[in-house]
Amino acid sequence: MTSGKVIIALGLVIAAVLIQTTVFQHVRPLGYAPALGMLTVIALARFLDPEQALFIAFTGGFFQDLLGGSPLGLWASTFTIVAFLALKVRDREIVGTPVVLLGVFGLTLIGQFTYAVLGTLFGQGIINRPGFVGHLLVPALYNVVLAYPVFWLTKITVKPPERTWAT
Amino acid sequence: MFPSGRRLDRSTALFVTLLAVGFLIATFDVRSSGDSVTTVIRGGAQTLAAPVQEAIDFVVRPVVGFVDGISNVAGLSDQNERLEAEVRRLEQRLRETAALERRVAELEAINDLAPPEDLATVTALIYSAGASTFDHIRIINRGSDDGIIVGQAVVDEDGLVGRVYLVTKSSARVRLITDPLVSVGVRVQDTNQTGVVTGRGDARLRLDMFDATQPVSEGAVVLTDGSLFPPGIVVGFADETKAADVGFALRTTVDPAAAFSQLDFVKVVVGWSPLDADPESEVPLIDAPSFTDPGSERQ
Repeated sequence: MTSGKVIIALGLVIAAVLIQTTVFQHVRPLGYAPALGMLTVIALARFLDPEQALFIAFTGGFFQDLLGGSPLGLWASTFTIVAFLALKVRDREIVGTPVVLLGVFGLTLIGQFTYAVLGTLFGQGIINRPGFVGHLLVPALYNVVLAYPVFWLTKITVKPPERTWAT
Repeated sequence: MFPSGRRLDRSTALFVTLLAVGFLIATFDVRSSGDSVTTVIRGGAQTLAAPVQEAIDFVVRPVVGFVDGISNVAGLSDQNERLEAEVRRLEQRLRETAALERRVAELEAINDLAPPEDLATVTALIYSAGASTFDHIRIINRGSDDGIIVGQAVVDEDGLVGRVYLVTKSSARVRLITDPLVSVGVRVQDTNQTGVVTGRGDARLRLDMFDATQPVSEGAVVLTDGSLFPPGIVVGFADETKAADVGFALRTTVDPAAAFSQLDFVKVVVGWSPLDADPESEVPLIDAPSFTDPGSERQ
């Protein structure tokens, strides 16, 4: 994996966060938006080396912190945890689209819950807000819907070329 | 065997280190709340991201509008008939209201009250929202170059929207009144009793009154009291009729006047700050130093 691919991966996460803050300001079915930045981090964790995936997750999360309204570091920590979990499950001998989609749902759910816990610990009062469960479940469902295009884009941009007999 | 084990150890160590760094940054940011290096970093990031965000918004906005239009075409005929009936009804009410407006203007003159619309405002476009579904912030395309400073109230045609909490030269961040971190000093219009409205995320606002000698009636208009926001701005409408439960403490919910899911253009009230309020009368000093000419609203 070259540094060029790391830069591309970082660009993908930053683009995802920028789209999150602009496009999903307008497009919010049922009043919720997907967690696109988190989905991109999950997708990148499938194709990057562990250290690179963690570094990019932290940096992307920090960028989301900068554009968000919560204390700096919360999304950085959350993305790092999600990337770490994604790295742990990616090497399991389980394959198939339903399993991957289930993984996206579960990891997004964990990420949203982690952020809610951290946010509450740092004075944001997220957990006791009415409609809290919706903020966990609906973005996770939206991420499942968006998983295919995001994984495809991630794959064609950062996945290392597979070696064949001719290379 | 050895390389993969060492790799796992390295990644775990990096994971723990990054988590520790994240918590340290968060602690520093929370503890320094206000003017600190984190505010500068946020402002710098906002300045860098603003052109890209505005460009994306510029491209996406018409597309979303077009798609919305297509999806609404089926209901347009019924809606048209309903709106025509509504227009006839409103024209009738307008004629009745004209007389009332004259009386209100006379009363305001007598009581030396100034309606909020007399305050200098700067119109701004919302081009970005918070970075997650938990955020209740908006980013507008006006900043310190337009006279916007931290603390100013943001309104739309329906009522109070929020408060500016971070400003760069060309943009500003607004924390909505639905954010649990925002509290608004209010008074109920029909009883003139005061209280505090607090955001609850996506749910309706919470109204706490600590000295409620009279009940709050359903639909009662809740206005800003002039303590932190300019007085007389509509915050919302009481959801239900409710009397004090224990002693004089009353807690109920308020339906916000502003439609936060449809915010597009807003106005930042630049001609008023909490320091302009006379603590005795709670009447704003309209002639206090302002950043724009009250008569010249920018767009």
